[in-house]
Amino acid sequence: MDRGVQIRVERAARIFRMGDIEVPALVDADLDIRFGEFITILGPSGSGKSTLLNLIGGMDRPTSGHVWHLEEDLAALSDRELTRYRRAHVGFIFQFYNLIPTLTAYENVQAATELAERPLDPGEALELVGLAERCDHFPAQLSGGEQQRVSIARALAKRPTLLLADEPTGALDLPTARTVLALLQALNRERGLSILLITHNPAIASIADRVVRIVSGRVTESLENESPLAANEVTW
Amino acid sequence: MLSVLNRKLLRDTFASLGTLASILLIIGIGIGAFVGLGTAQRNLVESQASYYRAYHFADVWVDLKKAPLSVTERIRSWPEIARLDARVVFDVILDVPDETRPLSARLISTPSVGYDRTLNGIHLVRGSGFSQRRDSEAIISEDFAKARGLDPGDRLHVILNRKRESFVIVGTAISPEYAYMVRGPGDIIPDPEHFGVLYVKERFARDVLGFKDACNQVVCQLTPSAAARPEDLLARLERVLEPFGVLEVVPRKRQASHRFLSDEIDGLGKTATVMPAVFLSVAALALNILMLRLAQRQRAVIGTLKAIGYSDRQVMWHYLSFGVVVGIAGALGGAALGLGMAYAMIETYKSFFSFPGFAFHVYPDLLIWGLVISVGFSILGTFRGVLAVLRLQPAAAMRQNPPERGGAILLERCRWFWRLFGFRTHMAFRSVFRNHFRTATSIFATAVSISIILMALVLFDSFISMIDYQFDAVAHSDLDVGMRDEESLAALFEAQALPGVELAEPLFGLRCDLAHGAASRRMAISGLVEGHRLTTPRRADGAVVDIPPHGLVFSRKLADLLGVDVGDAVRVTPVRGRRQMRRAPIVAITDTFIGLDCYADLRYLSTLVGESLVLNSVQLLVDEPQRAALYRRIKTLPNAQGLSVRAETKRNLERTLVETGRFSIGLMVLFAGAISFGSALNNALIEIGDRLREISTLRVLGYSPAEVAGILIRQNMIIFVLGVLLAGPMGYGLIQLVSQAYDTELFRMPIRIKPEVAGLTALLALLFVLSAQVLVYWQVRKLNWLEGVKVKE
Repeated sequence: MDRGVQIRVERAARIFRMGDIEVPALVDADLDIRFGEFITILGPSGSGKSTLLNLIGGMDRPTSGHVWHLEEDLAALSDRELTRYRRAHVGFIFQFYNLIPTLTAYENVQAATELAERPLDPGEALELVGLAERCDHFPAQLSGGEQQRVSIARALAKRPTLLLADEPTGALDLPTARTVLALLQALNRERGLSILLITHNPAIASIADRVVRIVSGRVTESLENESPLAANEVTW
Repeated sequence: MLSVLNRKLLRDTFASLGTLASILLIIGIGIGAFVGLGTAQRNLVESQASYYRAYHFADVWVDLKKAPLSVTERIRSWPEIARLDARVVFDVILDVPDETRPLSARLISTPSVGYDRTLNGIHLVRGSGFSQRRDSEAIISEDFAKARGLDPGDRLHVILNRKRESFVIVGTAISPEYAYMVRGPGDIIPDPEHFGVLYVKERFARDVLGFKDACNQVVCQLTPSAAARPEDLLARLERVLEPFGVLEVVPRKRQASHRFLSDEIDGLGKTATVMPAVFLSVAALALNILMLRLAQRQRAVIGTLKAIGYSDRQVMWHYLSFGVVVGIAGALGGAALGLGMAYAMIETYKSFFSFPGFAFHVYPDLLIWGLVISVGFSILGTFRGVLAVLRLQPAAAMRQNPPERGGAILLERCRWFWRLFGFRTHMAFRSVFRNHFRTATSIFATAVSISIILMALVLFDSFISMIDYQFDAVAHSDLDVGMRDEESLAALFEAQALPGVELAEPLFGLRCDLAHGAASRRMAISGLVEGHRLTTPRRADGAVVDIPPHGLVFSRKLADLLGVDVGDAVRVTPVRGRRQMRRAPIVAITDTFIGLDCYADLRYLSTLVGESLVLNSVQLLVDEPQRAALYRRIKTLPNAQGLSVRAETKRNLERTLVETGRFSIGLMVLFAGAISFGSALNNALIEIGDRLREISTLRVLGYSPAEVAGILIRQNMIIFVLGVLLAGPMGYGLIQLVSQAYDTELFRMPIRIKPEVAGLTALLALLFVLSAQVLVYWQVRKLNWLEGVKVKE
C-alpha cells in the first residue's frame, strides 16, 4: 500500500536556552508520517520525544530545520497560523488527560467541537469511547481510564487527520491501558487516522506499524513492524 | 446557549468566590462610594437648584444703616438688576412663653401678600399665613418652631424699637436664604433651639421700627450676564449706597447658608472621586495578584486549550471576561450599597438643610458609570494575569511548573535575628520577602487602610480640640449680650448691676475694611478693655496673647489672607461715621479655628471712630442660681439684640459633631477596615491555594489547623507591621492634605496626632486584620488535606 506523506520532519533541531546554557533537546531529526500510519516513538525520559511531538503538533517551532505538513512548513508559520493548523488537523491526548476540571465530560468534548468546522456530535464521540452514559460527570468523578477516554473523545471529535498521544497510558494500570490502546488501534484501522504515540515502554511500541527510537535527541532507528500486536495482547 | 468556555468561566468564578469575596468587598465599597456620594450630591444639587429657582434666591445682599426707598427704586431700573427687594432686617431678642432664656431671632420684613414670590421667598410649611385681621402676625422658621414646640396660634414677644411687641404666629416656613440655618459667618452649625427667623408684615415692620419709606437691606437678583461677573456691579452698588451706611455687600457665593451648602456639595464631589479611586486601585492590585495566580494554577488548562486549537485571543478573552464578571458583580453590590448610603445621607441632610422637597432620585447614568468604572478597574486588575496567559507557549504550558524560587532571603544573613524565630516564622518571612509584588501590594493596602482610619480619628479628635480651644481656652464668659447701638461706658455699669452678674466686660465690635496691598477683608475688629479676662486670645501652643494699647492683633489666617505679619501695617477704614482711613500696625498674631479674628484695645479702637470709649456688647460671668432672674431682666432690655450662651453653643457643636461624626467616622473606619481585611484575606487564601501540598504535608505530619494557619497569620502580621511603618508618613501626608482642604475662612482644624489616637488606629486596623485570620483558620480547618498530598502538577 503506497500512502502519501502527511508530515515530513526535515533536519529539525530544537535547542532550549536556560540562562547561559544551551540544551539541545532534539538534534537534526528526520521523520516521515504517512497517511493512516500508526507510529510509536520509543525512548527514555528526557530523550526528546515530547519535543518532537510538540513540533509536529504545532505547539512549538524548531530552532532550525523544517516540519512539513503536506506543502506547508510549520516552522515558518505565525502563532495564529499554528493555532489554525492545530485546530483543523491535530488531536492531542496527554498523559494526565488535561481535562478542564470545571467542565463535565460532555462539555470537555464540546470545548473542542465548538472550534471545529464539521465536528462529531460530542455525545457520539463519547459513545465511540464507550462513555455515553457518563457524559454528565466531572473529571473528578471519573477514573483515570475514563478520563483518558474522555480526552480521546475530545481529540477525536474535531475529526483530526493526525492524533498525537503523549504517554497516553503512562498513568494507567495494565487492563485500563489495554482498553485505551485498543481504542487507539481501532481508530487507526477503522477510521484511517494517523497516530503518533510516544512511550518509553517497548511493550506498547509493538502495537504500531512503525517504531521510531530516539536517544539523547537523535532519531537512531526507524523499524517497520510487519505484524503489529493486537492491543489486548500487550503485556508488561 | 452559553458557550463551553463561558460555562467554565462561571464555574471558575464560583469556585474562587471565597477569594473573590474579599476583592468584591473592596470594589463594592469603591463603587458604593461613587454611586452613593454621587447620588447624594446630585440630589442635593437638584434640590438646591429647584428650590433656588422656585423661591427666587437672591444674588446680592447689601446691608445698610438706612436708605430711602427712592434710592432703591432708582437702582431697580439698572439694566443689570433683574429684581430688587428692599427689606427691613433686625436681630432681636425673643421672649417665648414658658422659656426663661431670651432667644435670638432675625426679624425680616416681607409683603403680607405674595411672600412666597419675593426674592428669597418663603415656603409655608404649617399654618395659614398672614391674614387681614391684625398687623402683628409672624411666620416663624419651621426648625425653630419644631425645636421650641411652637405652633400657629401661639404668641411670642419681641422688643422692637425699645417697645415690647406681641406677635401671633400664623405659620411656619422655610426659605432658601436659610436652607442652612446659621446667622452668618462665625456660626458653623445650626442651633434651632436658640435662633430662629421671624417674618413679619412689611408695613408693620416699617412703622414700628421707624423705617417709613426706608430699608436697611437691599436684595437683588441679577441678569444672567451680570450674575456671571458681578464684581463691577457690586462696586457700583456700594458706591451708590455709600451715603446710607453700607455695612456689608454680600454676593451669593459668600452668603452663609449658600456657602455651607455649596461647600458640602463640593466636598461630596471630591470625596466621590478620591474614595473610589483609592478603593478601586487597591482592588485592582489585589485582583492582579489573584489573576496571576489563577493563570499560573491553570497553566495546564491554558496549554490544553491552546493545544486543542483555541487562539491566543480566545483564551485571552476568556480570562479577561473573568475580570468583567468580577467588575459586574462588584458594580451590582456597589450600586446597592451606594443607593442605601445615598438614602441614609439624604436623611441625615434633612436635619441640617431644610428644603421644601428633598428629592431622592436614582440616576441611571451614575449607575452605568459605576458599572463602566468597576469593569474598567477589574479588567485592569486582570492585566498581569492575562499577559501571563498570553505569554504561555502551549508546549511550555504542558511542561512541569518550574519549582518555586528557593534560597535564603536577605534577612537570614542577620543570624542572631533569624535565630529568634522558629521554622514556621521562617516560612512566613521567606514567603513575604520572595513575592515582591504581592507583598508590596499588601503593605500598600494595609497602609492605605490605616491612613484612612488615622485620618478619620484625627479629624474627629481635632474637631473636639477645636471646640475646647474656642470655647474653653479663648472664651470664658457665661453670656454675651449684643446691643443694637453703640453705648457709652454707662451701659457697662448697668450690666454690672444686673441680677446675678459677677463680672461684666465690655466688647466693641467695629466693622472695618482691613486692607494691605490689593488684599482686603471687611470684618469686625473686637475691642477688648485693658485687664480683660473673659476673652483671652491665644496662640495654638496655648500661650495667651496680650492686647497692647496700640495696634492690631490678627489671627494667623487673617494675616495670611492679607499677606501680613507682625511689624507690617494695614489700612483700616471703619464702615461707619466719617470712614477715615488710618494705618495700624500688626503687633501680634493669634490662632483661631472658627472664622477670622482681629483684636485691638477698646480705647484704641474707639479713637479710630472718634469716640473716647464705646461698646456694643457685654460679656458676663453669671452666678448660676440667679441665671433665671438675669434672663428675665435681659428680656426687658431695650437695646439688647442678641444673646449667646457659651455652654449651649459648645454643647450644640459637640452634640452635632458626635451625632453626625459617629455615623460618618464609623462608616469611614469600617470601609477602610475592609481594605485591610480584604487584602489580608485575599493574601492568605491565595497562599493556601499555592501551598496546598505544603499545608497538607504539615497536616499529615501532625500539625493542627491552628498551627498551620499560624504560618499564614504570621505572614499577615509581618505585612501588618510593615504596613504600620508605611502608614506613619502616608497618614501624616493624608491628614495634611485633608486639613488643607478644610482650611477655609469659615473654620480650620488644629491638627495634632495624639499618641492615643495613633494607638487606637493601630488597634482598630489590627482587629480588622485579625478578623480575616478567623476565616483563614476556618479555611485551613476545612481543607481536604488528604487530597492535597495526592495533588499532581
